[in-house]
Parts: sequence; structure tokens; C-alpha cells
Amino acid sequence: MNEEQQFKLQAFLDGELPEREAREVQAWTQCDAEAAALLAELRNTRQAVSKSETFVRVPESREFYWSKIERAIQMEPAQTRVASVSILFQLRRLVLPVGALSALVIVGLFAYSRMETAAAPDDSDAPVVEAMADSDATTYRDKADNTTLVWFSVPADSRNILK
Amino acid sequence: MSGKDFTNATDVVLVKLAQRGNLKAFEELVARHRDKVYARAFSMVRNGDDAVDLSQEAWVKGWRRLKQFHGESSFATWLTRIVINLCCDRLRRQRRQRTESLHDLEGESGGAERQMPAVTVNPTERLERDELRKLIDGALDKLSDEHRAVLVLHEFEEMEYKEIAKTVGCSIGTVMSRLFYARRKMAVLLAELKKER
Repeated sequence: MNEEQQFKLQAFLDGELPEREAREVQAWTQCDAEAAALLAELRNTRQAVSKSETFVRVPESREFYWSKIERAIQMEPAQTRVASVSILFQLRRLVLPVGALSALVIVGLFAYSRMETAAAPDDSDAPVVEAMADSDATTYRDKADNTTLVWFSVPADSRNILK
Repeated sequence: MSGKDFTNATDVVLVKLAQRGNLKAFEELVARHRDKVYARAFSMVRNGDDAVDLSQEAWVKGWRRLKQFHGESSFATWLTRIVINLCCDRLRRQRRQRTESLHDLEGESGGAERQMPAVTVNPTERLERDELRKLIDGALDKLSDEHRAVLVLHEFEEMEYKEIAKTVGCSIGTVMSRLFYARRKMAVLLAELKKER
């Protein structure tokens, strides 16, 4: 009997074979004395072992056995607490330099934006036309030419006054 | 619930309390199932001190993983699986540390017992229960760790080949081979031990 056949016989005993294969093995054991003998031996051993687990008890008292477990369990939260405290401490140590750096960055950005504004091209040279609603006057200012012109809209009925 | 009441509480209640951090409830669970967990460790490693260490390690691990237990099996079964995994880890480590000896090679391939004719007489027939247990215990002692582990998982834990392969960390073919060899060796050992008595 080869290894594959031996394992198949065992798998049959353990109910690990598909139905069709199980039927084939059953038929084989009925006509092969060697297979039948091996199957019987495997079955006897399985039955003897499965029903005979020795019941052993912990060779220590309940208190002593538990004390080691308890110690290991109680050590764990302490370690976690130490770890978390340590992380908090590290974070607290970082607060001051990070805060100072942030403040510097903010101040720097603010100063930079001011400088940008100051360095921006002066559009004041461009001609500006301003209209003054109340006075009915329009001003044209051109800094490039150093020219300022003002128009006054004089109402028709006030021509006599101007004269 | 006071500590005094825990003796009457069911495992389900104790587990729920322990999951909320009640160490006294967990202590009661340890008291109830410590023998079973220890016995499983002992059946696999066959050394009392190692079995105590492994079973205690399993309880600590169980406490840490308690939130992962949702009652798919009984609490005792869940914890037994933890101790089995720890035993398998230890056996794997030991196997790696061992130099590959002729005994190992023979053990993996089945040894001489594979080719021996079948033991036709049932050596355990007409034995008293205690006597049978002693006989089996003596024979289990003589198996290699790897073969005994597979046999224990199959016969005591009633695991299928696939589950054993996953637990032990080997192929199904290896499980079949180890189980077959372990059974044949057990048959021979039982016959010999019975003759000696």
C-alpha cells in the first residue's frame, strides 16, 4: 500500500473525503484485507485516544496562579500610562518652540505682504478722472504730465450770475 | 455586582463585566477554566512548568483581546484556542532552533512504523478507564512535539485537517502525514506498554 492510499484510508476514517471517494474507499476495504486491518487499527487508536484525555489540574493554588496573571495585567496599563504621559510631555516641550516659530512665520508673512504692497507698481501716474457728485465738478489728474484739469458744470440759469 | 456574587454569575455575565474592565470578574473566569486551559497546554508541551507559563500567558493575552470576543464559541473554547496558538508558536520556535537531525527527518516522513503491519489486536480493549488513560498518557509522552500536537488537535479539540494546518502553520498534506504517523506510533506504543504491564 502506498502513502497516498494510506492517507486516503485515514481521511475516510476522519470523514474528510467527498461522498464519491468515501464510497470507493469503503468498497476497497471490503475486498482488501490489508486495507481493512489498517483501517481497524487507525479506528481503535482514534477511539482510545479521543476518549482518554487525562484531566490534569494546575499544580498551583488559585491565588498563586492568579497573582502572576494579575501582575502582568496590571503592568500593562502602567506602561500605557507612562507612554501616554511621555507623549504628552514631549508634546508640551514642543509647544513653546512651535508657537514661537508660528508667530515668527505670521509676522514674516505680514511684513512680506506689506513690502509687496509697498513695492507694487504705483498706478498713481495713470490719469485719473474723478467726478464729484455734489459739486458738479470733474477733475482730470495726470501725474506724469503734472497736469490737473477741473471742469465745472454750470447750470444754465446761473450764467447771469457768473457774468 | 460584588465579588461574592461572581460565583453564581454565568460566564456570559462575567465576560461582559470583564470587557468593561472588571478584573474581579476576570479572576472568576480564570478560577473556573484554569484547569482546562492548563490541561490543553500540558497535553501539547508535556511539561508542567511550561504548561503553567503558557496557560498564564494565554490568560493575559485573553484579557488584552477580550473586546474581540463576541461569543461565537464558549469563553473556555476561545481561551483554549489562544493557549493552543501559544503552544504552536513555542513548538515552531523550538523546531527552528533544533538542528535538522535524522530523527526529525524520519519523524516527518513517518519512520519505520509506517511500513509496519497493522496492530490487529486492540491493545486498549478491556482496560479500565484510568488504566487506559495512563497508557495513552505514556504513549503521548513518547511522540515528537509536532506529531503529538496534530494528534491532540484532532482527537481532543476535534479540529478538521484544514483547521489544524492553519493553527500549526503547515500544509494539509503535512497534517495528514503527521496524524497518520502519530496514530501508527501510538498503536505500536500502546501494544508495547500493555505488554509491559
